[in-house]
Amino acid sequence: MLRIAGLTRRYGTLVALDGVSLTVAPGEIAGLLGANGAGKSTLLRTAAGLQPPDAGTVSADGVDLWASPVEAKRRIGYAAEEPRFYEELSAEEHLAFVAAVRGLDAAEAKARAEDLLGRFGLADRAREPVSRFSHGMRKKLSFVAAILHRPPVLLCDEALEGFDAASALAAKSELRALATAGCAVLFSSHVTETIERLCDRATLLHQGRVARVIERSAWGAPPSGPSALEREFLVVAGPTPR
Amino acid sequence: MPAPIRPQARAFRDLERALRRRRLLGLGPRLRLEFALLALLVGAFLFWQARVPLDGLVRAGGAGAAVGAVAVIALILAAASGALAGARLARLLRTGPAGPEWLALPIKPAALERHLAWEARRYEPWLWVPALAVLIAAIGLVAPGWLVLLTLGFLGLQPMAGRIGCALGQRAARGATEARPGVPDVVRMLATAAPRRPRPRTGAAVWWRAPAWLALAAKDLTFTRRHGPTRRAAALPIALWVLSVAVWWLPGESAMRHTLAFGLSLLAAAALAEWLIALVDSDPFAVLRVLPIGVASVWGARAALAAAGTLLVVAAQAVGSRELEPHARQLLLLWAGGATLAIGILGVNYGVTLHPQAGVAGRMLGLSLALAVAASVMLPLSGWIILLSAVAHSARRLPLWPRLEEV
Repeated sequence: MLRIAGLTRRYGTLVALDGVSLTVAPGEIAGLLGANGAGKSTLLRTAAGLQPPDAGTVSADGVDLWASPVEAKRRIGYAAEEPRFYEELSAEEHLAFVAAVRGLDAAEAKARAEDLLGRFGLADRAREPVSRFSHGMRKKLSFVAAILHRPPVLLCDEALEGFDAASALAAKSELRALATAGCAVLFSSHVTETIERLCDRATLLHQGRVARVIERSAWGAPPSGPSALEREFLVVAGPTPR
Repeated sequence: MPAPIRPQARAFRDLERALRRRRLLGLGPRLRLEFALLALLVGAFLFWQARVPLDGLVRAGGAGAAVGAVAVIALILAAASGALAGARLARLLRTGPAGPEWLALPIKPAALERHLAWEARRYEPWLWVPALAVLIAAIGLVAPGWLVLLTLGFLGLQPMAGRIGCALGQRAARGATEARPGVPDVVRMLATAAPRRPRPRTGAAVWWRAPAWLALAAKDLTFTRRHGPTRRAAALPIALWVLSVAVWWLPGESAMRHTLAFGLSLLAAAALAEWLIALVDSDPFAVLRVLPIGVASVWGARAALAAAGTLLVVAAQAVGSRELEPHARQLLLLWAGGATLAIGILGVNYGVTLHPQAGVAGRMLGLSLALAVAASVMLPLSGWIILLSAVAHSARRLPLWPRLEEV
């Protein structure tokens, strides 16, 4: 479970987050919607431990992020909006490093990494330096690194932006699988359609505050599976599993 | 409406003038001076290489033989200039030239060809260095009138050779592309040009389960091998360590070897600290911060590398300093090892606590070491007090690491 309580973050005089509180239950995919500058990325970066809050708490599975950062981060996966890497390392080396730091079983992590790289169309490029990757490929690698350890809490900051249609479908399917396994997912996007299709609930942020929380029942069930256009895309450029 | 030719030619002239200026300014004053000195050195070397044979020719066959020799050299240099331009043009056409998407602009193919040829002939002035050296070498051996004629001849030949070279280069590049009637050659070549971007592949990743600090240290070593600037930063302390051991085989006083070995070890320690700062700096802020890794691991990984460097220094000096008395040898090992560890740890402390401001960390390290050296010069051993105080003081900021922010 992800619990965010009274989170406040200021940049000088600008209040980017103003007492934001929200909870994401295990198995739930919660959407975070908002205009540019609403505070979505600040919220996710603060919840991921990238920047300390001025007030408020974040806890992952009951572990306070700022009191026990290492323990809390074991439970969190974070897919960044603008991912950063060791540019000279290959995708595979980056994942191996992340797996080692997270203390994952080497054989199991390797198998999962290979599976995920294949599903996201990165298998052929896994041994190239990340510096050669396009924006979309970097986003996919960041997503793979975030879910490699099947985290109980997953934070996705515009995670699917830049994905091709096949990878976006694979990511949605992986997110649903993680949620089914009990992962609490907080997924930010400025694309309402993505939130509609994927999330169980949407939190609307406006000027650093929670403006509204909308349950899925309010927008109805979206069509299941890929759209007609996505199906056509899959026929032409479907994933190439390893 | 097609653009009129004259303004386009003027636009290219302005572009080429601006490029020439930018490239020259882009070198920076120091590099410009270095290039000028290099040209002077090469020119002086060639002058002496040419002067003696030309003098011999004059003595053996008269001034005419020397004129003939200088003319042949000028011809060879002009031909080399043309060959260079041709090879460069062929490469530009195959891999795509610098600049905008040329084919998206309303430019006449001829104007584009002319500009690409200008780009290909960019290094022609470098051939003036050997030409000038040979012409100066002929002063006093050849009549001034001949010298003027030879100079004018070279200045006329070189552009001609450049144009011939470019024509040949274009032909060579054209041969590699598929013919398409009605499509100008340059358009066809640029349309199929692909930048040469080799896709380097790394070896298989090592999947292992390790403590975070060890995983980080192993990643640091891999990163050092891959990343040029970090690799060079690591090469410097190694080179200095090798030198610090090599001095033990120098002839002369033992005291001099002792001093040199210790001094070079200290320099190596400073270079080691700079490498460690570069390593910490290489950590992308967002990568480590979202991983379950604390300051102990981040610091421990780099401190382990500092300790490994210390062991290397002690082992190397133990091998090199066998000629010293046991007591003096132990003191050297203790001093060199202790200083290396302290300076290395100081670099790690500054790197970690000031991350991601490596420049500030480097300056703090330099300031601390300069203070320690100055103190040592004024009062023996006081440098140690400064150094250890700096280590202790910089360590006090380590607990603040989790709250550091990206700047």
